[in-house]
Amino acid sequence: MRAGGGLFAAALFTPITVVYLVFLLAPIGFFLMMSVFRYSPMELWQPAFTADNFVRLLSEEHYRVIIFRTLEIAALTTVFSLMLGFPLAYFLARTGSIWRGVLMFLVIAPLMTGVIVRTYGWIVLLGSEGTVNVVLMWLGVIDEPVKILETQVAVLVALVHILMPYMVFPLFSSLASQDPDVERAAATLGAGRWRIFFEVTLPLSRAGILMGSALVFTLTAGAVVTPALLGGSKVQMLGQTIYDLVLSTLNWPFASAVAFVLVFCQFSIIFLYLKGGRRRVG
Amino acid sequence: MSQSVLHLSGVVKRFGETLAVGPVGFEVQEGEFLTLLGPSGCGKTTTLHIVAGLLYPDQGEVRLRGREITRLDPQHRDMGLVFQNYALFPHKTVFDNVAFGLRMRKVAAGEIRERVLRMLDVVGLPGVENRQPHQLSGGQRQRVALARALVIEPSLLLLDEPLSNLDAVLRKRMRLELRDIQQRLGIATIFVTHDQDEAFEMSDRVILMNVGHIEQVATPEELYDNPTSRFAAEFIGEVNLIDGTVAGVDGGAAQVQSAIGGRYRARGDLASVRAGDEVLLMVRPERVEIEPDAAAADGLVPATVAKRVFSGDLLIFTLRTADGTELTASKPSTQRYRAIAPDSSVWIDLGECRLLPRGA
Repeated sequence: MRAGGGLFAAALFTPITVVYLVFLLAPIGFFLMMSVFRYSPMELWQPAFTADNFVRLLSEEHYRVIIFRTLEIAALTTVFSLMLGFPLAYFLARTGSIWRGVLMFLVIAPLMTGVIVRTYGWIVLLGSEGTVNVVLMWLGVIDEPVKILETQVAVLVALVHILMPYMVFPLFSSLASQDPDVERAAATLGAGRWRIFFEVTLPLSRAGILMGSALVFTLTAGAVVTPALLGGSKVQMLGQTIYDLVLSTLNWPFASAVAFVLVFCQFSIIFLYLKGGRRRVG
Repeated sequence: MSQSVLHLSGVVKRFGETLAVGPVGFEVQEGEFLTLLGPSGCGKTTTLHIVAGLLYPDQGEVRLRGREITRLDPQHRDMGLVFQNYALFPHKTVFDNVAFGLRMRKVAAGEIRERVLRMLDVVGLPGVENRQPHQLSGGQRQRVALARALVIEPSLLLLDEPLSNLDAVLRKRMRLELRDIQQRLGIATIFVTHDQDEAFEMSDRVILMNVGHIEQVATPEELYDNPTSRFAAEFIGEVNLIDGTVAGVDGGAAQVQSAIGGRYRARGDLASVRAGDEVLLMVRPERVEIEPDAAAADGLVPATVAKRVFSGDLLIFTLRTADGTELTASKPSTQRYRAIAPDSSVWIDLGECRLLPRGA
């Protein structure tokens, strides 16, 4: 049984392992290596080791701003997704309503249209003649259109919307797996609604919060299309910077160094998640 | 009469169109162990949740020591509830689980420590305060849940099928232990179960429920000997029910001509019973007397032993009378009854029976 099981398991794992090795780990290894190569305008890169790329990345103000902006937007998107997603997930997990299925579908629905389509949707809404400005002017809140596009707000709003399902689903599964009697027990022991939430519901949702936050943070940090279209050159993030360096500037070694920083940030978050998730809860 | 701790009156609860409970009314006396017994879906857990404040009734009133609490939040009710699945806080230690109710009541830290440890002692679990719930066995979790409910010294202890997730041996031991703890603390208790043995072994009084209403309120003995409905008779223990016709009523008993041939005295609710009424005679299997070789004396009815099952301390006989009725008799497995072989002819006597209305 054991030996056969091992062989069988190996057989199951082989195809995906090959795919990951050839199409994920090999390219990552390649660009990691590239990040310490020298840039050459003629041949793109020369296989000569140098730390110049990283030195430049960390010393130039322009890139430091982009790194911090990326981390800031990723953190803010995570916080807002969590704050908006938690009540939604809580409602979905606890409601006995017949509309639950419909609501679940509405949460998934955004995943069925492309990121680009949804981003253009936000351009229509947030533009100077877009719905938001028109409504605000009609209400008399503002006299002339405010600039929303090409600000951090536009990027943030769109990212929170686009990544919401990645936050809601881990939260939902975490909340739905909680025994409702545990909250009832807290109530009979004298805890009010808020005490129950902070003493019982929230700690028991820890796994979902960590999972959703890790997903949203890494996806935001690596976002390219949405910041590029809604933030333009004013709200540049790491993803767009890498894109430009690879396709316009053709400085592959430097692009690799920037990518290295991005992947490093994302892996740090995943590492924190794994470390935090290992502490047994429930 | 002792003071009543809890008083429910005219309580009705609907879930949508379905009537879940009601109208239901009863009292719990100081120090009493009261059991809500009934099949699943009879409304016993709903009733308990109404008492605990986890559900509010559509009609009726709940009073705790005279104070109306019908729509009071559960956290202000001063009741300890133990759930079927224990519902411990999985992220807290045993100590923090038990201390939870005291912390909500802003008890001083030193007193919390003392009371928690004392209560863990009472439920027979000293020294586990630093463990996590998942490190405990089912029986231990049950005790922690009990300690958590008891440590706040509630006016009323509510137990929702607390033993049904335990294995058979542990369940039997916990019955006695639970009853023992309840007696020592003298705490009024409502216990919900579908298990008749649990109800009988532990309770002072039993409320038998069926499809949302109360069938009978009685002591275990009373409920066993004198059920007032066919449902009560059949739900509690084994029973023989025989068709009969009332021949006459004299004083406290009726004379009933039975379908198996004999004429028997029967007690019960005789107020509306008239001669000629179709009724049921109820007799418990251990009350059915078997005579191996009697002459056809008064009241004895001939029967054949259709089946005999040996279960150690008891012999269970299935007896078939001339009209085809099958009766069950359970007898001690003494020499006298072991001598009665399958397929042999015997005489049976039912003695005094219980009279029940025909129909449901």
